Amino acid sequence: MKYSYITPKKKSVFTQEFQLLLSFFTITILMLLLTYSFLLYKNYTFIQDKQALSLEKTQLQESLLVMEKDIAYIEKQKMLSETIYTKNIVLKDSIANLFDLVPLRITLSEAQLLKNGLILYGITPNKDVYNFMLQAPLRSIFHRTYSSFYPAKNGWYRFVSTNYIDEEEEEVEADE
Amino acid sequence: MNSISRQHIYLMVASMLLLIFVLIFSFLVLIPEGKEYRIKRVELKKTSREFRDYSNFHYETEDILKDLRSKNRRVITAFDATFSPDRFERENKGYFSQLRVSSLSEPTLESGFGIYEVNTTSQISSPKSFYDFLDGINKSEYVIAINFPINFKRDSEIIKSSFTMKVYCNNRDTNATALESKKK
Repeated sequence: MKYSYITPKKKSVFTQEFQLLLSFFTITILMLLLTYSFLLYKNYTFIQDKQALSLEKTQLQESLLVMEKDIAYIEKQKMLSETIYTKNIVLKDSIANLFDLVPLRITLSEAQLLKNGLILYGITPNKDVYNFMLQAPLRSIFHRTYSSFYPAKNGWYRFVSTNYIDEEEEEVEADE
Repeated sequence: MNSISRQHIYLMVASMLLLIFVLIFSFLVLIPEGKEYRIKRVELKKTSREFRDYSNFHYETEDILKDLRSKNRRVITAFDATFSPDRFERENKGYFSQLRVSSLSEPTLESGFGIYEVNTTSQISSPKSFYDFLDGINKSEYVIAINFPINFKRDSEIIKSSFTMKVYCNNRDTNATALESKKK
């Protein structure tokens, strides 16, 4: 005996409402997973970028260290060369001053320029000319001055003038 | 009174399970990852800023070095040049009637530089030639210091002079790094 005119359908768990709910949650989970993937990817790229930057920074540091060494070395070269050039110029002026110091009446036969002294060999018409015209200026420059004379054949005097600067006294003067 | 159907119970259970999953996933995975993302982004920005500053400093230092090199090219080349007595004699012959430079001694070290001592004997017609030589030596292709003692001895019309010169050059052992970088 039939009670209905239609054939009964088998009831399923996946009703329309359930399907709607599933699709809603699927979309939600998909979005969550996408966000998670995005975050994972970005975190990975951040780490990679940071590592690359650190590596580049290390390379820059090494390069900078080399450059700083170079700069220091060139500065050192520059300073040393300037000191040497200045010393050469001072030496030139000192020699020029020395020869200018010798009066026309006195003739030098030899000059020895030492680090802290000067030895002059020459000939003078008389001792007074030497004493007033050469020894006096030498005394004002050097701390110790010694002179010795030998008579020459023509009545003039050969002389040896030994002059020294005391380095200790020079240092004291420089400090003052 | 209508009781809740089985379908509705399934629906509710499924909703609850999915909701719990979403919440757990969000709180345990997504939010910590998001926090980490924020921290890492800030860190990267900081590192980038530091790198930029460092990079700028590097460029500035590079400019300083280039400037220093171009301004002191002559001095750098002079320190790098190998002293040749023959060449020196040829170049400075003009100042003297006769010039003789002894061969190089073993280099000594002084403040990180190698120094060769060279003995020189020469003949000049007047002290002026020696002054010119001293002026010229400061423009020569070597770094040379004229050293004491200096002797001048008159011999009829000429003056015989003898002096020591210190030729400065790079000490290749201690300054190897600087030299290598200079070549780059």
